[in-house]
Amino acid sequence: MSKKIRLLYMEGVSPLRSQTVYHAVGYAMKADTPNTIIMVSPNGPYVSIGYHQDIQKEVDLEYCAQHNLPVYRREVGGGAVFLDNGQLFTQWIFHKEDLPVSLEERFKLYIDPLVATYQELGINANLRPINDVHVNGKKIGGTGAAQMGIAEILVGSLMYTFDKKTMSQVLKVPSEKMRDKIFESLEAYMTTMTEQLGSTPDRVAVKDLYMKKVSEALGVEIYEGEWTAEEEAMAQEIDARFVSDEWLYQKGQLHQQGVKIHQDVHIVEAAFKAQGGLIRIIARLRDGRVDDATISGDFTLLPSFALGALEQSLRGVAATPETLKSKIEEAYYRLSIQSPGVTPADFTTAIMNAVTPPQAA
Amino acid sequence: MIYYACDIPEDLYYDIERDVWIRFDGDIATLGMTDVAQTRCGKFAAISFRNVGKRVAQGKTLATVESAKWVGPFPAPFSCEIVETNEDGFARNILLANKEPYTDGWLVKVRPTDLENERGHLVTGAEAAEKYKERIKELKVNCLRCID
Repeated sequence: MSKKIRLLYMEGVSPLRSQTVYHAVGYAMKADTPNTIIMVSPNGPYVSIGYHQDIQKEVDLEYCAQHNLPVYRREVGGGAVFLDNGQLFTQWIFHKEDLPVSLEERFKLYIDPLVATYQELGINANLRPINDVHVNGKKIGGTGAAQMGIAEILVGSLMYTFDKKTMSQVLKVPSEKMRDKIFESLEAYMTTMTEQLGSTPDRVAVKDLYMKKVSEALGVEIYEGEWTAEEEAMAQEIDARFVSDEWLYQKGQLHQQGVKIHQDVHIVEAAFKAQGGLIRIIARLRDGRVDDATISGDFTLLPSFALGALEQSLRGVAATPETLKSKIEEAYYRLSIQSPGVTPADFTTAIMNAVTPPQAA
Repeated sequence: MIYYACDIPEDLYYDIERDVWIRFDGDIATLGMTDVAQTRCGKFAAISFRNVGKRVAQGKTLATVESAKWVGPFPAPFSCEIVETNEDGFARNILLANKEPYTDGWLVKVRPTDLENERGHLVTGAEAAEKYKERIKELKVNCLRCID
């Protein structure tokens, strides 16, 4: 790539504008528009939902209203996320011909400067293909890609802090136990610059360092520029669309399994009605294995410590019916478990309903 | 023709730049993503369609596709009016286009509104096969289908 890149540096814009700005530059892009990187952070907290999500199914709108958290639908995919001034968004709006054709290579090109920035700050960050950034198994930010008009877009962030508690509060979940599990999993599997370094690095220094790393990776000069009147007008148009009920409440049909914590970690939940009572399962899956499981319900399980022991026995077990059933049967035998009307096969079915939800009729 | 595992049926028409296949039937055209396009997109996570009856200009969006990696438009190869979408099919199985891109995985049926002036870029038969060979080489793509 030989063309210079324009940088738009916008710390402290409104939450709405922190989302609409990259849509605007994308949709306003013409053949002679420079490739552009926007570094932007909002001056207040908000919730961003994915393009095809159903807001009423995914977001606790009552909580958001009580806490004055606006919700905006972006034209990039994925799930709902709580965002605030603790993240500096790094948004690339490029011409198609200036990016690799394959999405895998495109994400690598985009993520490499983020990783290099973190590494120079002393954080052991790495690309977790296809599009996560990890530090020793914890995620320090995800990324996304989209096409808007003729522009190809890549978005992600440099994460100073992340409010995991509020993140777990803004999601609509079937139970408070599920919410607790999400929070606990965010604590276990997400990290930030502040957590890694013990203090928050200087934001301007991080911005400059990131620009240096982008310039080195792409071999191009970057200049700090302004956006055009046309781009700003486009932003105003998109601002209006993003706050309209028609846009926000459009019905989505995103097919996703549970709550994704990062590429390898999901929280799933299901229930199964056995003869002896209802079994509820909340499980954290990591790399196809049960990382953690909480079992509850209205069945009887004896001795009294059996429930905790059963949960413990599931940790690290491959999430397949055969291995789960075998582990549960082994726990039943070892602990002389009695559960009238509930069998190891029922627990297996409950867990597998969470792992692979049954298809609706 | 199958080239680097990419199936390019020679009885269809193609807008190669937009990676769209077209099957003409009277004044109606059925459109879908080619094997190359569905492979590059990856497993569908969601799809939303413009409304039936909507008139869409050449190059504009007929549907928006979301995969695990990317969100983008399914573009119109020529100006047209949407007469039917495969919304019900994708509601039953979101991976239709990843499994059977040229049959069950069709996206929309349209009535072209200015085909005589906008069909110059469409190719079929041996010409399409040759041009797709070049594209597949250029993109360095090996096609993959979803089984379930």
